Amino acid sequence: MLQIIKNEWRYLVRNHLFLCVNVGFISILILSVCLGNYQTQKQENTHKVAKDHVRQQWVSIDQMNPHSAAHYGTYIFKPTNLLSSLDEGVNSVTGNVIRVEGHVQNEITHSEASQMQSVSRFGKLKPSLLLQYIVPLLLVFLAFSSVSNEKQSGRLKLMILQGAKPLDIILSKTLAVWLYGVLLISFVVLVYGVINFQSLTTDVLVRAVLFFSSYSLYYFIISGLTVFFSARWQNTTLALTSMLGIWIVWTLFLPNILMTSAEKWHPLPSRSEFQSAMKEDRSKGLDGHNPRDQRALALKEKVLKEYGVDSLSQLPINFDGLKMQADEEYGNSVWDKHFGNNREVLGQQKQSVQIGGLINPFISLQNTSMGFMASDNLHQQEFLLQVENYRRVFIKTLNDKQTYGGSKTGNWGWKEGTDFFKSVADFEYKPTQVSEVISNYILDVIALIMWSIVVFLLLTFGIKKNQIV
Amino acid sequence: MRSLGVFLYEWKHFVRSPFKIVAIILFMAASIYGLHNGADLYEKQTNEIQRINKEVATANNTTLTYFDTNEKGPKNRPWVDLTTPYWAIVSASGYQFKKPSPGIVYTIGQGEQYGFYKAIGISSSPYDADMAKEIANPERIESGTLDFSFVVLFLLPLLLLILLYNIKGQESEQGFLPLVFVQTGSKNWWILARTSFYVLVLLLILFGVVTYGAMLTNVFEVDNLFWNVFIWVSIYLLFWTVFYFFIIKYGKNTVSNTLQMIGVWLLVSFIVPAAIQQWISIEKPTNLMVDFIDAKRDRTDEIYNLSNEVIYQQLLDVYPNLKQTKIGKEAILFRKVKRYCIRALINLAMKNATAKIEEDNRSKNELISKTYWFNPFTYFHNRFNRLSKTHYDDYQAYRDDIQNRIDQRIKIMVFDIWNDLTIDKTKYIEYTTIFSNNE
Repeated sequence: MLQIIKNEWRYLVRNHLFLCVNVGFISILILSVCLGNYQTQKQENTHKVAKDHVRQQWVSIDQMNPHSAAHYGTYIFKPTNLLSSLDEGVNSVTGNVIRVEGHVQNEITHSEASQMQSVSRFGKLKPSLLLQYIVPLLLVFLAFSSVSNEKQSGRLKLMILQGAKPLDIILSKTLAVWLYGVLLISFVVLVYGVINFQSLTTDVLVRAVLFFSSYSLYYFIISGLTVFFSARWQNTTLALTSMLGIWIVWTLFLPNILMTSAEKWHPLPSRSEFQSAMKEDRSKGLDGHNPRDQRALALKEKVLKEYGVDSLSQLPINFDGLKMQADEEYGNSVWDKHFGNNREVLGQQKQSVQIGGLINPFISLQNTSMGFMASDNLHQQEFLLQVENYRRVFIKTLNDKQTYGGSKTGNWGWKEGTDFFKSVADFEYKPTQVSEVISNYILDVIALIMWSIVVFLLLTFGIKKNQIV
Repeated sequence: MRSLGVFLYEWKHFVRSPFKIVAIILFMAASIYGLHNGADLYEKQTNEIQRINKEVATANNTTLTYFDTNEKGPKNRPWVDLTTPYWAIVSASGYQFKKPSPGIVYTIGQGEQYGFYKAIGISSSPYDADMAKEIANPERIESGTLDFSFVVLFLLPLLLLILLYNIKGQESEQGFLPLVFVQTGSKNWWILARTSFYVLVLLLILFGVVTYGAMLTNVFEVDNLFWNVFIWVSIYLLFWTVFYFFIIKYGKNTVSNTLQMIGVWLLVSFIVPAAIQQWISIEKPTNLMVDFIDAKRDRTDEIYNLSNEVIYQQLLDVYPNLKQTKIGKEAILFRKVKRYCIRALINLAMKNATAKIEEDNRSKNELISKTYWFNPFTYFHNRFNRLSKTHYDDYQAYRDDIQNRIDQRIKIMVFDIWNDLTIDKTKYIEYTTIFSNNE
């Protein structure tokens, strides 16, 4: 088997056209890694400048009432992720800026895609674009005639007469082509590792290994299937067109159709409906800014009783802060309910798409690729959750200061100094560890392994000896 | 006559190729599916606009009841006084819509990257958080919807490839190419006649599916939309035909021709646009809207801290006609209404901030447009988006409309405050009519 693989490679290397295409393609591949990395770093600088600017504004607050500061709020910019230089996932279509303030949970806005006209339907020239769309085609081109040409030239009969087993020949042809794909993905991962050597962590390494593995499995499926067609069909052109047909259906048709269908099976509310429902639920709670609000009056009675006093002026704390925090906490429960529902629907959509991987391994590849590169919707949702958790701590800190900081109820003129505002922690994004989310991709990995087994079985049992010779 | 014979004879080739027929059927199925996706979005947006309009009407009717019952506003919000222009205008709900063009049936374009309705208030801005796109799965948005333009832009060249790939190559492999040339006289005319046959077949199919799309929305109500779409689809088809013609002309065999055609297709549809997008991102990184944030917070605070005299003067600079109003003549009264008018100056500051952002985006788009000559895919893509009014510029126009609405609302408010108007039911209805006038 090894000898056949070596021969295949010798044949490839001797082909000048292949060598030229190969050198050109590897150059583009390496360039895409470098450009992706450079773009991410540039965006990271922009992000850092913006983040520092907003933080500087916050710590420079000279004198401000803590609750006014909650309205002043702050902004969080979606941090860049070096892994996204390999696969950008959803990053270009999701927003980049989110306002954090009291009473309201804002949506993330200002996506990159909304800032310019359409350029590419498949995103930037990232390695994922080349590895997902172009490399499989290269593998098809390398494999479609691998057996049929040997058949037509009679060389196959000769090899069998010399003692080679038909299965060994088929598997060797598959492995020879597959190794080419593995070599390309190795180049990508290696170049990425070298460029980002100083930023490599265990998590990044694990993610890179998983990324590498999922592409390797997919390339085996493509290589094996093409060799299978090459052995099965008498005609080289038929083998090529069959695989091109499969490539078109897998990469262009099905992902789009499945995604659209998943959205129809598990519909999300429209933004307006969603906001109305949130507003409706919010109105059932406490209005922190309305002194006549019935729930606020009930809270007042409760607090007065708790402190054993008759009026708000006798309280040792500022009731306004307490009321604002009660308002916040009610709002948080409303957010949890509605956003939780959206997250659930998104999860159902994702699962439906993942099941689609059983009929289309490309979907599983896409899911694992952006998932392992921390740029899929799951990671986006994790980021948004971290922002919301930060918002709650941020607003509570300000409301607590209003309540227990020494001011009296109704004293809105009371202000805190810069030391306090400096003490309020800034948002620090904690990248999601792959160990926390890997269970979400098991279905994709199973689909890829299942497909690999099916292809292996096809190669082993799907071709009769007389079809080969 | 010989060319005509070749052209007509190609029909026999075609009907004997089940692979080609299946490809055409799949293309038609994809086109119809894409057209329905566009029509669904058209319907969804239209219905949503209608639903919001009903909500607005209900909200405004509720406010009107306060005038009927001689109340100043809702009981639980005693500070609201609807007889003042400020509270009447704040309470008058109004939305600005980007009504979907019937052309959206052909191209969803950037329609899913932006919101299409916006509540307009005196504190609004075209870059508010509620301008975010509809709630949708970002993975679906990223992979794009299979609309008709996707079918045309990506699958039409592939279908053409499937129809043309074995022209000349097959004859060459079977060794009777010289015979064909002798019989037909000219190699070019022979290839052209055969190619033309498939182009004609595709034009007929495209005409059919474009017509089918026109029946799903009111395409014929928009001047020339149908013909513009068909003409641009035809031009795109011819563009690829020219490429493939030369590959066939100079190609040697079927496999080599197929590989070259696929190579060109990948280069034009994938590599070049992706490389351009990558380059643009490096050249002009995503704007994180810091200027806008500054205007929204710090500049607003600065304006609030200005003295009465400065604010008064600045308002007169913005609206010179204010001098003719009651407060314009009696400046002493300004102190009482200052906080209600200050929004006009904040709006101005916000406009200056958004102008910078828009300039940034404009230069980004100019940069992209400069690549059209070697990036035809993006050119055609945006051409289709323009036809369906889902191009970036259409959304920019929508943002401009929003800004005009905000300006109009603030201007009316400031003038009515300075004229010390008392708002009654008739005036309130006038407000709602003006603010809901969304043609």
